[in-house]
Amino acid sequence: MVRFFSYLPALVPAAIVVAIVIELLKASNLTAFPGFFGSNWDYTASPPQWGIGVFVVGSFLTALPAIILAILIGLGIGIASTTYLPKLATRFLDPFVDLLAGIPSVVYGIWGFVVVGPYLGLTLNPWVAQHLGFLPGFSGARILQTGQGLPLAVILLTLMALPITTLLIRDALHSVPKDLWESGLALGATRWEVMRRVAIPYSHRGILSAGFLGFGRAFGETVAVAMVIGSVASFPTSVFDTTDTMSAIIFQNSDAALVTPGLLEALAEIALLLLAISLIVNILGRRLISSLLTEQISGL
Amino acid sequence: MAHPLPSIAGTDDNILFDRSIRTRWRIGFDQWIGRLLPLLFLVAIIPILGMVYWVSTKALPTLSWTILTGTSPYATDQLGVPIIGTFELMALATVFSVALGLFGGIATAELLPDRVASYIRMTANMLVGTPSVIIGFFGFFVFVITFGWGLSLIAGAVTLSIFMTPYIFRTADLAFTSIPRHIREAALGSGAGPSQYILRIATPIALPQVLTGIFLAMAIGVGETAPIVMTTTAGRLAPDSLTSPVTFMTSLIWAGFNQGNGSPFFVLAFQAAFVLLVVVIALNVVVRVIAARYQRRLEGLFQ
Repeated sequence: MVRFFSYLPALVPAAIVVAIVIELLKASNLTAFPGFFGSNWDYTASPPQWGIGVFVVGSFLTALPAIILAILIGLGIGIASTTYLPKLATRFLDPFVDLLAGIPSVVYGIWGFVVVGPYLGLTLNPWVAQHLGFLPGFSGARILQTGQGLPLAVILLTLMALPITTLLIRDALHSVPKDLWESGLALGATRWEVMRRVAIPYSHRGILSAGFLGFGRAFGETVAVAMVIGSVASFPTSVFDTTDTMSAIIFQNSDAALVTPGLLEALAEIALLLLAISLIVNILGRRLISSLLTEQISGL
Repeated sequence: MAHPLPSIAGTDDNILFDRSIRTRWRIGFDQWIGRLLPLLFLVAIIPILGMVYWVSTKALPTLSWTILTGTSPYATDQLGVPIIGTFELMALATVFSVALGLFGGIATAELLPDRVASYIRMTANMLVGTPSVIIGFFGFFVFVITFGWGLSLIAGAVTLSIFMTPYIFRTADLAFTSIPRHIREAALGSGAGPSQYILRIATPIALPQVLTGIFLAMAIGVGETAPIVMTTTAGRLAPDSLTSPVTFMTSLIWAGFNQGNGSPFFVLAFQAAFVLLVVVIALNVVVRVIAARYQRRLEGLFQ
């Protein structure tokens, strides 16, 4: 009996996860909204429109480019720090990447809004639109001077996903056996060739899991995105356009849910969808790596 | 880990002496990529230094002791009330999350069979992977609406503690599982029961790492915005009861942002961001230093 009670605290995380799912289901009241996956969201209209398609698309449009960039940059940093840089340099440089994880998202957001945003809105976006405007989706018609929109959100999400992807890629590359390295070099391959032909294929599971976990991080990020995405419930018509994401819409409308009939249920259903995607991505990502590595990244 | 180019001494059968264009290109490419890839570190370094520099230039010229400690209820240029509120909320949330997470982590590491423990760890990982906005919405629905606590200190603290729990759970688990196996075997072999082993042997060894984990959870928690903004409302006074409104540093920054550029709150938001950044970076550095030092001591002692 004593033994049984000493096991109980271990069930706390499971209990919280179950409670979250049950309470979200209760909050959603299993309401069936007409046109839920449609594109019209306007709860002040009569009858109110509950289409969340814009937010689903917006979430993917911000998180996917961000994770692709974060993986590429993370691979570069991982290769540099495991292969090319002397140990002293990596001991000095690696903590900077880890520190990116420690900065509060609201600070990212306000920095993005005040510093990066105007630069994008006044200089970079118009320049890109001018030179690439012949491509579909690159017309400069929808550039805000504040710089709010997809590019700014992608930049912030890339920075926020970078620490976890870099950490996982670095560890995966570190775990490549020395024998493989040395036999590759002894055969006359350069370091880059061993990296590309041996080390990266060998650690593809770690890199893939970095992709999944980093995507989960970017997909669920809320406040920084809410500050820079522009918060407009319409599909973006160009790469510079504003839109909105699932996490941001939950965050910004929870207060209104107290007074708007139906809104709480709709937000709960968005939250359930967001939770389902995040959990699937996280479980996939963690299944790919060994339990030892999972312990190391629990702090991120 | 620099890998020298292989060369076989005394022979010409050596890639360094192979002067074909292809080989020169391969070696040159390897050297150039080795010089260019480290530049990617700038992607991390520029934003961090830029953020610190920029927040400092915005905040420091006007920052004063009065701003930091002033607690007049209606002033828009004083951080005293939010700082006190942040302390109170963090203290409550830390106590709750330690109560929720610590014992579970120890039980998972020490008492549960490995198979069960791996499933338990998976649930903790799922909670880590849950977006904070969902924790915030959960807290909003359960504590604010269902329990009727309203937007209050206690609702924010409990919600934040749910967010922090898995981090404390995982570090406690990790601290106890990383105790070398022979110590456990020596203790159990000389007749200690599981409870004696945990309390007398394992806890003193794991304690520094557990404390580091708690610091880490606090560093992550104090920077969280969504769970707090969704479950608290801004107070003009420092909270004096569990159901009082409370102003948290991050929610102050969010509020200042919403007031728009030019409002006095926008200026205050930078000062709050500066204080927050200093605290968070300091906590991160402390955690890192303690962790590194402790790791070395552990290795020296037990290996």
